[in-house]
Amino acid sequence: MANITYDEAAHLIRRMGFGGSPDEIEDLAARGREGAVDYLLNYEQIDNRGLDDLVRTSFDFSDPTNFPKFNRGELQRWWFTRMTVTRRQFEEKMTLFWHNHFATSASKTGDLFIYNQNLTLRNHALDQFDSLLLRVAQDPAMLLWLDGVTNVRGKPNENFARELQELFTMGITDVVTGEPNYTEEDVKEISRAFTGWKFFHPRIDPNPFNYQFVVVDQEHDNTIKSIYSGTPWAQTGNLDGGDVIGIICARRATARYLVKKLFQFFVYPLDATPIDKATIEKFADVYLSRNHSIKELVRAIFTSDEFFSERARFALVKSPVELIVGAIRMLGARYNPGTSAREGASNNTLAAISIFLGQDLFNPPDVAGWKLNLGWINTSTLLNRFTYADLLAINRTRDQNAPGLWLSHEQLKSFAKKNSKKTVKKLLSVLGPLEVDGEMISVLRTYLETDDQGNRIGFVSDDFTLDKKVRGLIHLIMCLSEFQLN
Amino acid sequence: MPVTRRQFIKRSAGIVTVGMVVPRIFLSEARAEQAAFSPQQKLVVIQLAGGNDGFNTVVPYTDPRYYSLRPTLAFKESELKTTDGHSMLLSNQFGLHPALKEIKDFYDAGQIAIVLGVGYPNPNLSHFLSMDIWHTADLGGVGRGWLGKYADVALLGRSNLTAASIGSLELPKSFSAEKFVVPNIINFSLYNFITDPNYPGDYNNQLNVINLATSRAMPPGSVIGSVNSSAFQSLIGAQQVQRSVNSYSSSVVYPQNNPLASGLQMVAQLMATVPEASLLYVQMNGFDNHSDQIGNRQDDRANKLIGDHATLLKWFSEAIKLFHDDLTEHGLADQVLMLQWSEFGRRPGENASFGTDHGTAAPIFVMGNPVKGGLYGEQPSIAAGELDTASNVKFKVDFREVYATILDRWLGADSRAVLGAQYPNVGFL
Repeated sequence: MANITYDEAAHLIRRMGFGGSPDEIEDLAARGREGAVDYLLNYEQIDNRGLDDLVRTSFDFSDPTNFPKFNRGELQRWWFTRMTVTRRQFEEKMTLFWHNHFATSASKTGDLFIYNQNLTLRNHALDQFDSLLLRVAQDPAMLLWLDGVTNVRGKPNENFARELQELFTMGITDVVTGEPNYTEEDVKEISRAFTGWKFFHPRIDPNPFNYQFVVVDQEHDNTIKSIYSGTPWAQTGNLDGGDVIGIICARRATARYLVKKLFQFFVYPLDATPIDKATIEKFADVYLSRNHSIKELVRAIFTSDEFFSERARFALVKSPVELIVGAIRMLGARYNPGTSAREGASNNTLAAISIFLGQDLFNPPDVAGWKLNLGWINTSTLLNRFTYADLLAINRTRDQNAPGLWLSHEQLKSFAKKNSKKTVKKLLSVLGPLEVDGEMISVLRTYLETDDQGNRIGFVSDDFTLDKKVRGLIHLIMCLSEFQLN
Repeated sequence: MPVTRRQFIKRSAGIVTVGMVVPRIFLSEARAEQAAFSPQQKLVVIQLAGGNDGFNTVVPYTDPRYYSLRPTLAFKESELKTTDGHSMLLSNQFGLHPALKEIKDFYDAGQIAIVLGVGYPNPNLSHFLSMDIWHTADLGGVGRGWLGKYADVALLGRSNLTAASIGSLELPKSFSAEKFVVPNIINFSLYNFITDPNYPGDYNNQLNVINLATSRAMPPGSVIGSVNSSAFQSLIGAQQVQRSVNSYSSSVVYPQNNPLASGLQMVAQLMATVPEASLLYVQMNGFDNHSDQIGNRQDDRANKLIGDHATLLKWFSEAIKLFHDDLTEHGLADQVLMLQWSEFGRRPGENASFGTDHGTAAPIFVMGNPVKGGLYGEQPSIAAGELDTASNVKFKVDFREVYATILDRWLGADSRAVLGAQYPNVGFL
């Protein structure tokens, strides 16, 4: 079993989750590479009663028609609470990956169906890919989002058939060979295979969330479809949507595309070089040989040398959710989600901040999802990241029962060391560990030792200095470009 | 001898001075030979994202095929008028959607050029690829944005607010540049660097640290380098915005529920208070009208005057009018050219969902006092034999001809340097 260092364990939890406290990182490091990945991956074995209890007391999702208790804001608060408090970090991270992959917006589906979709993504996040895809395709949210419900015999709507191939499975062209994966004719034929797909709520079912999928016979096109003609994947027959999904999921193009998507989300951006193509092929083999199991594929990725390589370290840009949740978890800041009975704006702080950083959960910009990495970065989102850093650093302990986010004075004490150099290094470690050059460390030390008039007065870790300068230091470190990376 | 950022850090580390401002050297170090650039010739790009339906925007009301392809969605000639009875007809062939009332007035005043049939060869029906093609002016959709390439040629070394994307949290790819960092501003009050209000005296100390941090030299072409230069520009821009934009006042009242109007109000505010602000970009979403393009909820009866497309076009028309009024009030109307585009039009034939699927070529509007109004280009035929295999029309005017016309005849640039080839002048300037 390969050992991992503290920094490698921190890298692992930043990627498979959002980030950990020093204690959590040490615990992971002690498990070794495979052990740590297995621990995070088999999350159903992690005791999560703390979160379950908090969710039970903080939310009431029993009635989707009770608008004050069930609405988009509440859904966002629910998910941020989960991500911030859960001990099963990979469950949330993988659900977030799928939310970006099958990017669907509540602006078109409504809140109930986007919530149902989130449960589908979360409950089947590590299943066989075909099975997950079929569930997502038959889920009301997707049937509404890409107009499946109006895709009927004789008047097909191409929206889903197109995005199924372009965004959910293969891409327009093969990510390794560059060959086109399908034609406009295939889009038309495949849209016919999905005609008549609908959903309904069984009248006798007392659970208002339980919707069922149905193929409406008279709206389904029961004639012959020919797809991928002239290629090794050519099929002709009375195909339905399930058949098409099976055919597509077995194509190597899908394996490659999915590997690339996972890699770019969790490891590092891939180039069109022979080395990176070989990397894609290596993991595409895992997908194909392990019966399209997502769990086995991601296990192979997270235990790989590529994942632990120098190239992977800080190779990604933190998404807004990763930045927001990660900082809270690394710093051990306190977060009280409040309850749905309290309608104060402050109990949905995290979702509100995330929107200003460019990530409005349950409302991605379009079906292609969010543009990752440098797509998150522009002058506005950076200034908003700095504003979040300020907010987190300066929110002080107050009424523990009031909803909100704060960093307690006691927590600050655990970061403050005897001198300015050790204090800077401690916080650079807690917030990363970040690799920052010596000159910048010296600038940060100078900051700790400088008064309002610009005089260098030295550093004492008294309460006043902690409250003013160490909070300021946390703000500044979170403004560094190094901190924007993951 | 010019001081590099690296040297600057070395000199400054440890001597943090109160109220330090970023030295001019950073603003001017790249000022080299530039294309002719005049802040009095401003361009506002308005992107209608999702694929605007050209056939129901500029309606070919005399074409019988339009009616056979769109039994539900087509506007009859008798329907091409506003609710108060003003005709929307442009010519004996075309009329505007009745929601475009203000646009019609501009057209009649000779301030709108409508270029028909704008597209490109081998049309791509993917939103994302087709947008990239328009953003980059490259038929593969790869490389930098066309406005980014222009900025790299013409704007390097100029003030950070010479160009800006307004109202969106995402920087449009049109502005993707190699060197020039184009800011994007979602909201002026948020465009600020703030620190702990409990210790206002510490503000300058923190600002100094962050100025030093963002002035560091980073490996060229690296991700962290891009983040750092954006951060550097964001701090300069934030200070400039906070100094400037509050001096704006206007008698024009922009409605709160019109997203394009909100964006254009910010553009007007920036132009009125920051004289160099010249290249601005706003976006309006929602044009992917696969379904509910027209109203159909009331008793399942179709109503073309309501529905998603009518709402969007009404917003568009109103917003342009208010923005133009505001520019006129600030003496800027002669300085501003507006270009509207969308990644594709929609299919001539309607679908079964009261909507239309992805299309190809479509008309676009070039607007403002500097424009020579009228109809340009050519309407693509929708005769059965003229459509492509996806039942879409063939383009008549390459969108790069529109870009080239604007680059050469308005922005004073050499369009070949930006677009990589010579394109004919469409003639609207």
